[in-house]
Amino acid sequence: MENKKGIELIKLEVLGCINEKDRESLLKMKETDENFPWKALAEYQNLIALLPLTLTLIYPDSDLKDKTATKLYKIRDEIKAKLDAKKPKEVSVEPVLDETPVIKEMVLGEVEEGVQFKDQELHLDEKVSPLIKTPVQEKTVSDGPKFNIESRETVTTKSIPDRELIEKITRDYFKSYFEKELEALKQGMKKNRLLNLGLFVLTLILIVVLYFLRQTLNLF
Amino acid sequence: MAESNALTGAEIMLKIAGYDSKALEQLYDRYAPILYTLIKKIVTDKETAEEILSDVFVIIWRHIDLFDFKTNSVYTWLIILARNKAIDVLNRKGGKVTEEYTDEYEKEKIIPKLSPEIEATELNKVLEKKEKIEGALGSLTDAQRYVMELSYFGGMNEAEIAGKLKIPAMTVKSKLQVAIGNLMQKLSEGKK
Repeated sequence: MENKKGIELIKLEVLGCINEKDRESLLKMKETDENFPWKALAEYQNLIALLPLTLTLIYPDSDLKDKTATKLYKIRDEIKAKLDAKKPKEVSVEPVLDETPVIKEMVLGEVEEGVQFKDQELHLDEKVSPLIKTPVQEKTVSDGPKFNIESRETVTTKSIPDRELIEKITRDYFKSYFEKELEALKQGMKKNRLLNLGLFVLTLILIVVLYFLRQTLNLF
Repeated sequence: MAESNALTGAEIMLKIAGYDSKALEQLYDRYAPILYTLIKKIVTDKETAEEILSDVFVIIWRHIDLFDFKTNSVYTWLIILARNKAIDVLNRKGGKVTEEYTDEYEKEKIIPKLSPEIEATELNKVLEKKEKIEGALGSLTDAQRYVMELSYFGGMNEAEIAGKLKIPAMTVKSKLQVAIGNLMQKLSEGKK
């Protein structure tokens, strides 16, 4: 019975349409009821999260990434403090999958380096949802969005943590820059090599043809 | 690039927990369109929606420690987070919420508290359910769909919906419960 009541309240909670009284009794159930239907709560939370799928997908403007980066940059000190506070403990975030540098790099690195974003990858049908009476207008994203710090305040002159960090960022920047250049160069070389090979084969064929022609002419 | 694309949502979140900015970008790339779509539906104004979307990513960055790495339900967490934030902005603009927006408020009211038994689903798997959810919604009555829309996308509470539809608040409540119950049932039938 209690369970049933719990489920009915869960339905309202996940829809964000629960009054104070019901919210409190649901909270109490969560805290005290050993048989609280957590599974049902999980299912309804997942269900409600599917509702946005019925909307026609809209892509945000590409420069929004840049704006987001600016916002993230503004909280760099807070994150740095968090990170510093974490350092002595260093427990919960141990299993990070690679050795990508932590916030220091985000704080200066990401914004300064001009991290490149890929094009959006989500593609949904443009079917209008049965739930929504007025379809949302579709918008396209122009390509090549990037974080670019140049238009922002000069990071290097403000709150520079230490020389080592700056050197590292500079190194990483040059590394990534030259890697791109090198890649382009390699591509060019590959093309040239193919062209040379083609020309060489063509020349060989011509020589052989000329040789046979000459032989044939000599016969006559 | 291809390698990083193959990361699961949970792996990305784990990297974000290590303050890996590239991972945050990746999360943005993957989720921005669906989150923006939801936010835009709620607040309608483009600039406000953009502001909210970037705020959502700031919240993720600042409070990644509040993400449950045991359940790893990235999709649901992000959707509920974006919805909560958008509804909060909407309510503040409408004067419905006057409580100061503090860090505590954000932790309490904006950041989702998912069930510890929640099942994680990858975004690509979720997107495959689009037709199913549309079909299930199509099976509801117009009235049921409408009250759900008013509550989920409109951020209206019982009393507001009751006032708008000129029906008793208890009726609104039961309509919502029946609607979401039926929706669940339809989707479960689809699974069988």
